[in-house]
Amino acid sequence: MKTESAGKLQQVLTSVGFAVTAECGPPRGSDPEIIRKKGELLKGCVDAVNVTDNQTAIVRMSSIAACAHLVAMGIEPVMQMVTRDRNRIALQSDIMGAHSLGINNILCLSGDHQTFGSQPDALNVFDIDSMNLVRTVLTMREQGQDMSGFELKGAPKMFIGAAANPFADPFEYRVIRLAKKIEAGADFIQTQCVYNMERFKAWMKMARGEGLTEKVHILAGVTPMKSVGMAKYMANRVAGMDVPESLIKRMGSVPKEKAPEEGITICLETIAELRDIPGVHGIHLMAIEWEEVIAQIVSEAGLLPRP
Amino acid sequence: MNQTSKSKVTIFHCINVFGEGDVLPVDAAESVELNFIKMPCSSMVKDVFLLRAFEAGADVVAVLVCAEGACRYVEGNLRAKKRVQWVKALLDEIGLDGRRLALFNVTAGDMQTAVTSIRDASSLAATLGPNPASVGSQPEVMKG
Amino acid sequence: MIVGDQKPISEIKQIVAPYKKILLLGCGTCVKTCFAGGDDEVAVLASALRLSCKIEGKEIEIEEQTVERQCEDEFIQESAGAVGRNEVILSLACGAGVQAMARRFASMPVLPGVNTTFMGVLEKPGLFTEECSGCGDCKLAVFGGICPFTRCAKKLVNGPCGGSRNGRCEINSETDCAWHLIIERLKALGQLDNLRIYLPPKNWAASLSSGPRKLIREDHVL
Repeated sequence: MKTESAGKLQQVLTSVGFAVTAECGPPRGSDPEIIRKKGELLKGCVDAVNVTDNQTAIVRMSSIAACAHLVAMGIEPVMQMVTRDRNRIALQSDIMGAHSLGINNILCLSGDHQTFGSQPDALNVFDIDSMNLVRTVLTMREQGQDMSGFELKGAPKMFIGAAANPFADPFEYRVIRLAKKIEAGADFIQTQCVYNMERFKAWMKMARGEGLTEKVHILAGVTPMKSVGMAKYMANRVAGMDVPESLIKRMGSVPKEKAPEEGITICLETIAELRDIPGVHGIHLMAIEWEEVIAQIVSEAGLLPRP
Repeated sequence: MNQTSKSKVTIFHCINVFGEGDVLPVDAAESVELNFIKMPCSSMVKDVFLLRAFEAGADVVAVLVCAEGACRYVEGNLRAKKRVQWVKALLDEIGLDGRRLALFNVTAGDMQTAVTSIRDASSLAATLGPNPASVGSQPEVMKG
Repeated sequence: MIVGDQKPISEIKQIVAPYKKILLLGCGTCVKTCFAGGDDEVAVLASALRLSCKIEGKEIEIEEQTVERQCEDEFIQESAGAVGRNEVILSLACGAGVQAMARRFASMPVLPGVNTTFMGVLEKPGLFTEECSGCGDCKLAVFGGICPFTRCAKKLVNGPCGGSRNGRCEINSETDCAWHLIIERLKALGQLDNLRIYLPPKNWAASLSSGPRKLIREDHVL
C-alpha cells in the first residue's frame, strides 16, 4: 500500500528497526548560520532532524527554509508542519515546495495555540486538522493528486509522521486516536517526551493489543532535564506533559551544578528501558537549546555509529 | 469651605430593618441632611437608584441590609451586596469615589444598629466632603 | 442569543466626546438578556455619563430610550422622533443593530456602546457561554450535540489535541476541552465508535469565510 520515500529515516526504520531522530528549532531571525551550527552538532549522530514550525506560536524562520538549509548540509530533515497558521491552499503548496527542495519527511501537527506565543493578537487558521493533513499528504503521494483532485506535476513522495501523546486525556481514547492517525496515512509516530514510564508502557500495551505497532513505527520522545526548575516547569506549565514527582525530587536532590548530569543520567536510563519495549522503533530526542548534549546522549546510549 | 452647607446622606433601607412609625433617635442638630428611601427588600435597590441618588446631590449613599442569613427573602441582602460592589466600581471609574457608596449590616428590630450605621455614613460624608458632581462643589477661583 | 459586553465607560466617553445631545438607545432583546444594553443598562449608563460629565465640568444632555429590537424596522421606527431631537445615537444594541440604525438614519452618526461577542446561551445565572459560530453547515449530529468548530480552540474535527488536560483546554484551565465533552457524551450515548471514523476537512464555503451572507425567503418577499 505504501510507496518508498527512500529517505534515510524510512530506510533505517524498515531495515534496522530502531531509529534516532532529534529536534532543532530555527532562529528568531534570518541568520542561517544559527541553523547550520545546530546541524553540525547533530550531523552523524541521528538519522533525521525535526525542524519545528513556529513552535509555541513564537515567530521563527520557517520550517521549510530551515529544512532546506539542512538539506544543503547533507542532513535529512523532518519538516514539522502545523495547521494553525496556514490554510489548505498554503499547506499543499508548501508540501510540494518542500519536496522540490529535497525534503522527504513531514510531521503533521495542529500546533500550539497562538495565545501562548509572540503574536497573541493574530487570527489563527485551523482550516484543517492534523489528521486531515496526514491524509492530504498521503493522497498527494499515493494518488499524485491535490485535495481538489488535480493531477500533480510531480507527486511529493513524503514519509508521513504524526504526533501522539500517551499522557494526555482521556487515556482510553488515545489509542483510538492513534489507530485513526494510522488509518489516515501515518507511517511513523513521534510521541511526547516520556517521563512516566508506567503510563507509557500501558499505552504501548494497548497499541500492541490493537495491532497498531505492526502498522506504524513509533518513536518515543525523550528530553533530558537541565535543572529542577525545568522539571517543575514542564510538570506544571506545559500542556500534555506528565512528570512524576519522583523525578522532580531526584532532580532537586543534587547540587545545582550537577543537575544537568543527573538529567542526562535519567535520560539514558529512559532510553535503555524504551529499547526493551516491543513496538518502540526508535527515540526522538528533544533537547531544545541544548542540542550540544545530543551527540553525548546518543553515544553513551550505545546508539552510535548510525547505520 | 462653606460652613453652613450640610452633608447629604441618602439611606436605602428595607422594611425589615425599620418601618413606619419607628422613631430614629438621631440628633436633628447634626450637620447632616438625611433622606430615607424605603423598599420592601434591599435587593430591590437597582443600580440606577443608587446613581440617581448621587445625581440628586447625595454626598454619601448608604444601603442598610440585614445580616447575611437573616434576610426575610433569603438572598435579597446578597444581591444588594453584589449590586453595591458593582456600582462602587463604576463610581471609581467615573471619578466619583466608590467609598461614597457603602453597605451596612443591621439587625432587624435593633434600632441601635441602624443608628450606628447612619452615624457611620454621616462621618463618611464629613470625611469625603461634598459630592464632586454637585452644583457648587467646583473649586473656588482665586480673586485678585 | 447574541451576547455582548458594554464598553468600558472610559471608552464610551471618548467615543461621544464631540457631542452634547445624545440619544442613548437600548435594545430589549439579546443585549437586555446579557445585561449589556437593555433599558436598565441605558438608565445606569446615562446616569453615570451625566455624573462623569458633571465632575469634569462638561455639558451633556442624554435622551434615554429603548426599543424592542434594533434589527427590525417595525421597532426601529419608534426611535425616529428621538433621533430627530439629538446629534448622535449611542446604541447599546449588538453590531447588527448598530448597523441597521446607521443605514436607516444615514445622516446621523451612530456609535456603538457595546462590544458584540458571540452567539451563546445563559448557562446559569450570570454566566453566558459561546456555543455557535454560524458556520452554515451544522454537524452537531455527528458530535453528540457539542460543536467542535466553536468550542474547540483549534476547530479540530478528528479528536482532541495533545494539550487536553483533566478535561480542560490548553489555552485556559477554566475552559472545557470540547473534545473531552464530546467523548464523554458519545460514551454515554453508546456512540464512541463514531470517533474511529476519519472525518474530512470542514467545508467552510457556507461560513463567513465566503463573504457576508444573506438569507432570502422568496415566500416572504412581496
